[in-house]
Amino acid sequence: MSALLQGAALLTTVLGLACGCLVLGRRHDVRAALGVLLEFLLAAGLLRLSDSPTYRSLATAAVIIVIRKLVTLGLRRDRRPAAPHPV
Amino acid sequence: MREMAEGATGLASIVSEDFLRNAVDLLVRLVEAAGAIVIFVGALLAAVKFARAAIGRGQNEEFVRVRLGLGRYLTLGLEFQLASDVLSTAIAPSFSEIGKLAAIAAIRTALNYFLGKEIAEERAEVQAEQQGARPSAAVAAAGTHP
Repeated sequence: MSALLQGAALLTTVLGLACGCLVLGRRHDVRAALGVLLEFLLAAGLLRLSDSPTYRSLATAAVIIVIRKLVTLGLRRDRRPAAPHPV
Repeated sequence: MREMAEGATGLASIVSEDFLRNAVDLLVRLVEAAGAIVIFVGALLAAVKFARAAIGRGQNEEFVRVRLGLGRYLTLGLEFQLASDVLSTAIAPSFSEIGKLAAIAAIRTALNYFLGKEIAEERAEVQAEQQGARPSAAVAAAGTHP
C-alpha cells in the first residue's frame, strides 16, 4: 500500500510537471501553468498524506497548501483589472 | 438477572475490543484507499484532458474547466479522507495518535473549505466571462448574417 501510494504521488508530480509545461508552451501564460502545476502538486501531497502520516509529511502537506493558497491569491489579484485612478 | 449477566458476557466475548479494533481499522483503510483512488484517477483524467485541450487548440475556458474538474475530484477525495479520519476517532489509543489525527483532520478540513471556495469563485468568473462573451458573439453573428 505504501509503495503504491508513493508511486502514485510521484506519477502525479510528473504529470503535473508535464501538464504545466504543456499549458506554458500552448498558452505562453506562466500564471496558468503555475496554477496547474500547484493543483497537481497538491494532489500528490494529499496522496502522500494518505500513507501512514508522520509529522514531517504533515508539515510538508501543510506548507504546500499554504504556498498554493498564497500563489492562488496572488494570481487572482493580478488577474483583476486595476481600478482607474482619479485625475 | 444472572441470565442477563451471562448474555452480556457472551456479547462481550463476540464483540471483543480486538475485533472492533480490527473491523474499524479495515474500514479506515478501505475508505482512505477510496479517497486516494479518487484523487489519483482525477489527476490522471485531468492530465489526459489537458493534453487533449492543448493538442486540439483548447480555449482558455477549456483549461479552466479542466482545472475546476480536478479541483472537484480533489474535494471528493478529501471528503473520503475526512470520513476515514472520523472513523479513526473510534479507536485512537495513544495521545500522540490523537494529536496526529487532529492535525490531519484540521488540514483536510481547511483545504476542503478553501478548495470549495476557489471552485465556486472560478465557476462564477467563467460564467461571467461567458455572459460577457455572448452579446459580442450575437453582434458578430448579426454582422455576418444580415
